[in-house]
Amino acid sequence: MCMGDSASIIYYRWFQRGKAFISSIAVVIRVLMSKLIRYSPWLAHFNTGACNGCDIEVLASITPIYDPERYGVKLSPSVRHGDILIVTGVVTKKAAERLRRLYEQMPGVKYVVAVGACAYDGGVFKGSYSISGGAGKVIPVDAYVPGCPPRPEEILRALLILLNRERVKESERH
Amino acid sequence: MSGTNNIEDALSSYIIGRDTVKPNRPRFHIDAGNLKSAIALLKQCLGDEALYLSNIIGVDKVAEGVIELNYFIHVVPLGNTIVIRVTVPRDKPQVSSLIDVIPGALSGECEAYDLLGVEFIGNRYLRRGFFVPVDVASRGVFPLRKDAKV
Ligand code: SF4
Repeated sequence: MCMGDSASIIYYRWFQRGKAFISSIAVVIRVLMSKLIRYSPWLAHFNTGACNGCDIEVLASITPIYDPERYGVKLSPSVRHGDILIVTGVVTKKAAERLRRLYEQMPGVKYVVAVGACAYDGGVFKGSYSISGGAGKVIPVDAYVPGCPPRPEEILRALLILLNRERVKESERH
Repeated sequence: MSGTNNIEDALSSYIIGRDTVKPNRPRFHIDAGNLKSAIALLKQCLGDEALYLSNIIGVDKVAEGVIELNYFIHVVPLGNTIVIRVTVPRDKPQVSSLIDVIPGALSGECEAYDLLGVEFIGNRYLRRGFFVPVDVASRGVFPLRKDAKV
């Protein structure tokens, strides 16, 4: 073995250790972030092809009547500041590409909540030539809120269950 | 209704039929070749800011061999919407574009072209795949045609 070989082995080991160190820091940051997000989740809302029914309920759920700010829940001005992406409606083929891009633009610790029957599997639009399917076909979904459209209380409750701030029976988790 | 009577008087030389969609919404049938001049005349009579073209609704009538185009125009001074209907043959669906007269017609025309295949002569911005998914548009299918297989 020549000198060059042993030096490259040492560099390789340092490189591996550095990578392991950085990934452990990333895990710690993710855990801290998820704890912080738990008490101030910012929402980003995207309509991927809804009839507007679910959007009205999502907007209703962030009005003072339901007062989501008592849970720290706010609508974020940009998806880049969002922690939870709320997807309403069936995902059309055109919107699928945008949805994927928005999801990638969200910062590290992120959740997706699919609101309504359409965002689950296409709902009334199922079988149409222009749809990709439910939100779960395009991006990973953490919670589904059933209904056509769901009530605002249910949407807020889904957020709280997602953030482990409301106790539910295991059978009620979706 | 005197306002809509004025419109009817102004367009009298173009109107080939008239009916009512529902109270307060008259529908005037016009020959497809006269559409642009009729709308230009209406604009001239009512003023530049009086017309708002809210929608162009196309209907494919296979049995009659025509495609109907319904232009929903909100007449601002009247606070009333009128419908101008033209029909074009299914095998050669062409009508002159309104974007010179009403630039807001762009999206409606693009939509009617992409979904029904109606060609608006004079609109340079028409293209397939604007609303319709690329896989359907690339097969040359117009999905709102009643005989389309999507
Ligand atoms: S679930 Fe119902 S209300 Fe919601 S987008 Fe679909 S059809 Fe509209």
